[in-house]
Amino acid sequence: MHRRHFLILGSVSTLLPALPSSHPASQKLAFSRVRETIFAVQKHMFPPHTSLPSAQEVNTIAFLEETIFHPSYDKDIRAFVIRGAHALHQKEKGRFHIYTSEKKEQVLRRYEESEKGRMWLSRIMILSLEALLSAPVYGCNPAKAAWHALQRNGGMPEPTKKYIYG
Amino acid sequence: MNIPMYDAVIIGSGAGGASVAYTLTKAGFHVALLEKGDFLKRSDFSKDELAYCRRNIITPDLFNEYHIIAQEKNAHWVETPTYESGWSFWNGNIVGGSSNLMSGMFHRMHPDDFHLLQKYGPIEGANIVDWPITYEVLEPYYTKVESLIGVSGKFIPHPFEPPRSHPDYPFPPTKENGIVTLFDKSCRSLKMTPLVTPRAILSQDTSDRNACYYSNYCGSYGCSSGAKGSAREALIVPALSTGKLTLLSHTHVTQLFSSTKERIETAQCINTVTKKRFSISGRIFIVAAQAHESVRLLFNSASRFHPDGLGNTHGQLGKNLIFSGGGAGEGVLHTRTLQDISPQILMQPGYFFNRSLLDWYYVDEWWDGYFKGGLIEFMFSHANIISQALRHTYHDGRLQWGEALATRLQKTFTQQRAIRFEVFNDWLPTDKCFIQTAPNHKDIYGMPVGKLHIWGHSHDMKVGNYLAQKATQILEAMGAEYIYSDISATPAPNLIAGGCRFGNDPRTSVLDPNCRVHDIENLYVTDASFMPTGGSVPYTWTIYANALRVADKIVAHLHDL
Repeated sequence: MHRRHFLILGSVSTLLPALPSSHPASQKLAFSRVRETIFAVQKHMFPPHTSLPSAQEVNTIAFLEETIFHPSYDKDIRAFVIRGAHALHQKEKGRFHIYTSEKKEQVLRRYEESEKGRMWLSRIMILSLEALLSAPVYGCNPAKAAWHALQRNGGMPEPTKKYIYG
Repeated sequence: MNIPMYDAVIIGSGAGGASVAYTLTKAGFHVALLEKGDFLKRSDFSKDELAYCRRNIITPDLFNEYHIIAQEKNAHWVETPTYESGWSFWNGNIVGGSSNLMSGMFHRMHPDDFHLLQKYGPIEGANIVDWPITYEVLEPYYTKVESLIGVSGKFIPHPFEPPRSHPDYPFPPTKENGIVTLFDKSCRSLKMTPLVTPRAILSQDTSDRNACYYSNYCGSYGCSSGAKGSAREALIVPALSTGKLTLLSHTHVTQLFSSTKERIETAQCINTVTKKRFSISGRIFIVAAQAHESVRLLFNSASRFHPDGLGNTHGQLGKNLIFSGGGAGEGVLHTRTLQDISPQILMQPGYFFNRSLLDWYYVDEWWDGYFKGGLIEFMFSHANIISQALRHTYHDGRLQWGEALATRLQKTFTQQRAIRFEVFNDWLPTDKCFIQTAPNHKDIYGMPVGKLHIWGHSHDMKVGNYLAQKATQILEAMGAEYIYSDISATPAPNLIAGGCRFGNDPRTSVLDPNCRVHDIENLYVTDASFMPTGGSVPYTWTIYANALRVADKIVAHLHDL
């Protein structure tokens, strides 16, 4: 199945419920309802006290939100990110963010067993690593902590505007 | 309405178009250079992985402008729009084209590449033909590129190195990581001859361009020192300084028009920002929009004089599309098992790992057989941090996160370095690999998009795997772990050529030997689409050289008008 068929089919499946509209304002509203759930997933993926900065510390959700609503971002993937979060949110009756770490692990590993869940978690991982490891101008790597942890530098000159044009 | 009139109108500002613009403006002619993308300058280029490598910022949005890719699966052709697959066939739509983003590994084609049919005979299912020109015709232009574009290197005699009219490169090699000591030693232990890869990257300052500053991020990025020999830096900027060049960025050409059969009179353009449509006239037109887009423009310019498209009187337009055969592979050197060099040297960022092997460019061994082989390039895997990290997020088929992922990433980034090899062998031209337009699929400007039928000959896979096996032996000798290779008929979209084959016979070619469309006296094509076969090297040096050769013919043509 092609990527886009998969993403579109997601809107009619029972696991990934349809959203009210693909209009950005509706999607913004839909996103606001699942923002906490997505951030909780990111915080579980990048917890404190590892060699990498934590999701909480660098506020990866701010990057994710700005990224998926940027005009350069694939609109179907934006919808997929929101739908996948809604599915998790509904499945766990809006309580995912207050679960213990053990319970979150259990729930996410179960979610990973479905193809759509696996793809959604993979997308959240991509957006989280982009947040941690992109240039400082994007906001989540201001002190280059993640680069330092990996003993890498992003190359000079660093961008001073987001996506070339700011 | 007044339509501006130029001596020459060039569509596309990459290596093929800019070479003509440079030559014509230096000869005193007025030229309009049309580029659908933006004019980013040296100071605009940064090492922004998100912008340059992970989003479509300098290429069109695939929902607005796309291609249809047709591939044969289980004896059926399956067509997929690129907005569906995400497999983009746009390659750097900015002034200077994809030459801004190249790694600049430069190789000349070998003299025998110009007459493969004569040397090896036909291969069943392949449309191999000899070129209508010889290496000797192109050699002065290969040499011109070395100084004009700026090629750094060190000539090492080798039976398969093409002959040179100058003993060595105009610039010494770029600086090298100490890994080359290990590589060279490993090659010699296997009786192989390591060669320094020539690079279109300045190793020394020139009057208007700075030498490479070894940013560690070269391929896929624009160069902020001017060291990389992009068409923008080496040709367009000097052409602009003549005062004879009108550079129109954000200008997409949808059709070429004429009121006669023999000549083109205007290019129909659209400003991609304002969406305003306008026309430009010229005495001569040069199409260089990258092979597949040049073919699309010629198809979309069909008229009552040329009902099947320009240059398609004999049904040759779009045929014999080629890519680069081969593929790539990788191995990992770990600091704990490193031989001959220190971990500090291996992990040092910046300096290049610049090595090539030509030992199997032509194979004639009693055991392996007699066939055309190819080139193997060795380099460090790309330094992009996000892409590298994403390659290590799965373990045993499951996504990793938390402490396990952090530890793995830290170990991977700080204790090992991946070495990459790329295999270049001929992608044989066949009847099954070609370009059409797709009348039912239109871009935002209302024009049919290009449909690329992609099919690789089994012979290409055989040669590619043969070369990959040789590359693997070297990685093993170097002590690399986790070695793999991937040779396939899924091509790199930036290595695209053919579709407007040049030749002496109008019945079997689109262009004459000077890359002029056979039956249209003022229309030339100067990107890689002219190539009947591609050699077994990256195309860029040959595109530059041929476009400079054709530009000299156009200068003579303009003088005659």
